[in-house]
Amino acid sequence: MPGKNIDFGRFGARGIKGSDAVARKLDELAGGIATPVTAKRGWMARLHYLTKSTPTLKAAQDAGLTVTHRTLKAWLEGKRRPSKTSLERIEQAYRTVRRRYVARHLLRRLNRDGRGTRVEIHPLNQSQVPQQLQRVVEYRTMNVRRWDRIVGSWAAGDHQSLDAAWQDTIVDLGSQWGQYEYVTNVGFAA
Amino acid sequence: MSDFDAIDSLLDAVGPQAELPACDVRRELRERARLSKAQVARALGVSPSTLSGWESGRDPAGEARAKYAYLLDGLNAKLATDTENRPEPAEQPMASGAAAEDVTSTSSPGSGRGEDEVELLAVPEPCVLCGRPAGQRVAGFAQHLTPADCRPTATEAPAAEQPAPQAPQAPHAVQAPHAPQAPLGTARPAGAAARSRGPARRAFQEPSGPVDLIREAVQGALGEHQGDVDAATAALVKRAIPDAMRLLDVTRKGARYDVIAHPWIPDILKKQTARGADQIWEARPKWTRHELPPGRHQVTALDINGAYLSALKTHLPLGRLEHSTGLAHDRRRSGVHLITPPEWEHEAVLPNPIGQRDEPGPLWVTEPTLRLLLRLSGPKHQLCDPPQIHESYTSGATENLLEKFRIALKDARDTAIEQGDTVTLEYVKAMYSKFVSTMGESNYNRELYRPDWMHLIRSQAFANLWLKALKAHDEGLAVVRAMGTDELHVIGDWRRVFAEGRAVTEVKVKDTYTAGSDVAEHADEGE
Repeated sequence: MPGKNIDFGRFGARGIKGSDAVARKLDELAGGIATPVTAKRGWMARLHYLTKSTPTLKAAQDAGLTVTHRTLKAWLEGKRRPSKTSLERIEQAYRTVRRRYVARHLLRRLNRDGRGTRVEIHPLNQSQVPQQLQRVVEYRTMNVRRWDRIVGSWAAGDHQSLDAAWQDTIVDLGSQWGQYEYVTNVGFAA
Repeated sequence: MSDFDAIDSLLDAVGPQAELPACDVRRELRERARLSKAQVARALGVSPSTLSGWESGRDPAGEARAKYAYLLDGLNAKLATDTENRPEPAEQPMASGAAAEDVTSTSSPGSGRGEDEVELLAVPEPCVLCGRPAGQRVAGFAQHLTPADCRPTATEAPAAEQPAPQAPQAPHAVQAPHAPQAPLGTARPAGAAARSRGPARRAFQEPSGPVDLIREAVQGALGEHQGDVDAATAALVKRAIPDAMRLLDVTRKGARYDVIAHPWIPDILKKQTARGADQIWEARPKWTRHELPPGRHQVTALDINGAYLSALKTHLPLGRLEHSTGLAHDRRRSGVHLITPPEWEHEAVLPNPIGQRDEPGPLWVTEPTLRLLLRLSGPKHQLCDPPQIHESYTSGATENLLEKFRIALKDARDTAIEQGDTVTLEYVKAMYSKFVSTMGESNYNRELYRPDWMHLIRSQAFANLWLKALKAHDEGLAVVRAMGTDELHVIGDWRRVFAEGRAVTEVKVKDTYTAGSDVAEHADEGE
């Protein structure tokens, strides 16, 4: 696609992919358990969340928490501690399930019955770029009306399709959209 | 000969000075006409602070005095006519229709001059000469084009019987507009002529936009609840946050800077835990004088009106905060700073400007606190050493970002107080206080994530209170206590220092009590 950066950061520009910033913001909006999974309080809370009902447990199993009921029971009763790899799996399953459940509500709030949400795009950081190579990249805002693809691919954890969806969105910025492929921050509220 | 001309004109200029009303009358006239200081100051070609001076005791001189007298005269006449006789709406269409014909007939000879363009107005505006609705605007002033339409009103009937051709009389011509067929006023300076054109300089326009928004919301709520004041107030307070955001949007229409709502925020501005606070010290004053002067005293607890509303005027950083170390303070930037505060040696009579800090060592303070410290360490006050700045997160700043927003709320508040309208008063109060308290990381207002602004505005309120304490101290009052955002306890005749009232520049009495050396703990009574 024309306008895409080929070798980003070659001259010292700093920033992250716009889609990563969006995913980060969505994660922030989704919230969740703040205690790290390594603490007992943290993994216990996650396990309670994942075993709250049969559908969530099914979703957790689909997301990679493939342990027997016996093990789960032992963990929940505090007789055993999950191993390091199990903790990672718990965290992974928790994030996936949480995203899937929150996505519905988040999507409704972001679409706002078709009125959409105002998104702020903060341009990349050029402070380390030599003076003669710096370009004027302005702060931009846009209204995004359709969030279905963005939130859908975020909930599914599919980085590639999230990136594609975000790129299709920022094309609306006009011919300069390529300058906003990498950003310092993407801000919006839900 | 030209020397003598110059002398003649000088001699002409020396004459009796124009009469001006008393200071509070000047301000009242301006406020009743819903004109801001900035508007009037621009029209007079002076700075708003000069105008403040004129409204609080100083007297203008020379040409500025003549202009100001003319303005006050006009306001006086206009407000008097407004209250006495309102124009009947029935004659408006006729008047504007006739006026439209006048334009077609008069504009062709007038266009040769190219000096003044006649605009047709869709909605008739009050004529600047007679105050009745006029269908045209010339040089930015709505007015009638023919003397026949421009009928004098009841109050100025004896003075101006045939106003239009002679209306721009010599001393008044600096301000008065002129109809195209009238000879160009020679006394009018060229600069004023050039500046007075264009839509920005329309005098006596109805205020539109922000204040209307507030009024409509209140009327809507009252209508919805069939005039039930309590229910309407509750409903309005409930929607205060989204309404404040909408008001902010409206006031930023056509503005130079964007309100950036979701910038990157440094870690020091993020809450450490869900219930915890971030690392910024807001310098909230919480000070009670250790020892009262000997004897028994009457202590007055004063309350500063609308402290947070006034504090909306502060230097707010616009964009993303950028880190810097070891740089001197830059007046054009604003943000948060890691400083080592100076020693404070006046604890016995004045609160510490950084508040009641228990821990020693460097701390993160905001721009208003730093500016206060720098000001106090300056040559004028010399109350402490300058603070040491170690690190800063700053961005380019402006004081005017929320200015229109603040003025809209202040105007609505003033009108509500004047009319005894408790619904609007509560609504306005909820809007500004909730706007400030939820503009940070609050879930009640997700449209604005600016914890830096929240801290800055709060600190500004505290700094304002501190400066009031200093003013009281300098004027010879004994400051007994400075608490929170708006509480100041003083001993002495405070009425000669502060004006009493309900406007934001005035103070009101919360409580009076006696305290003295024999009753040491008595100062706690004024809660």
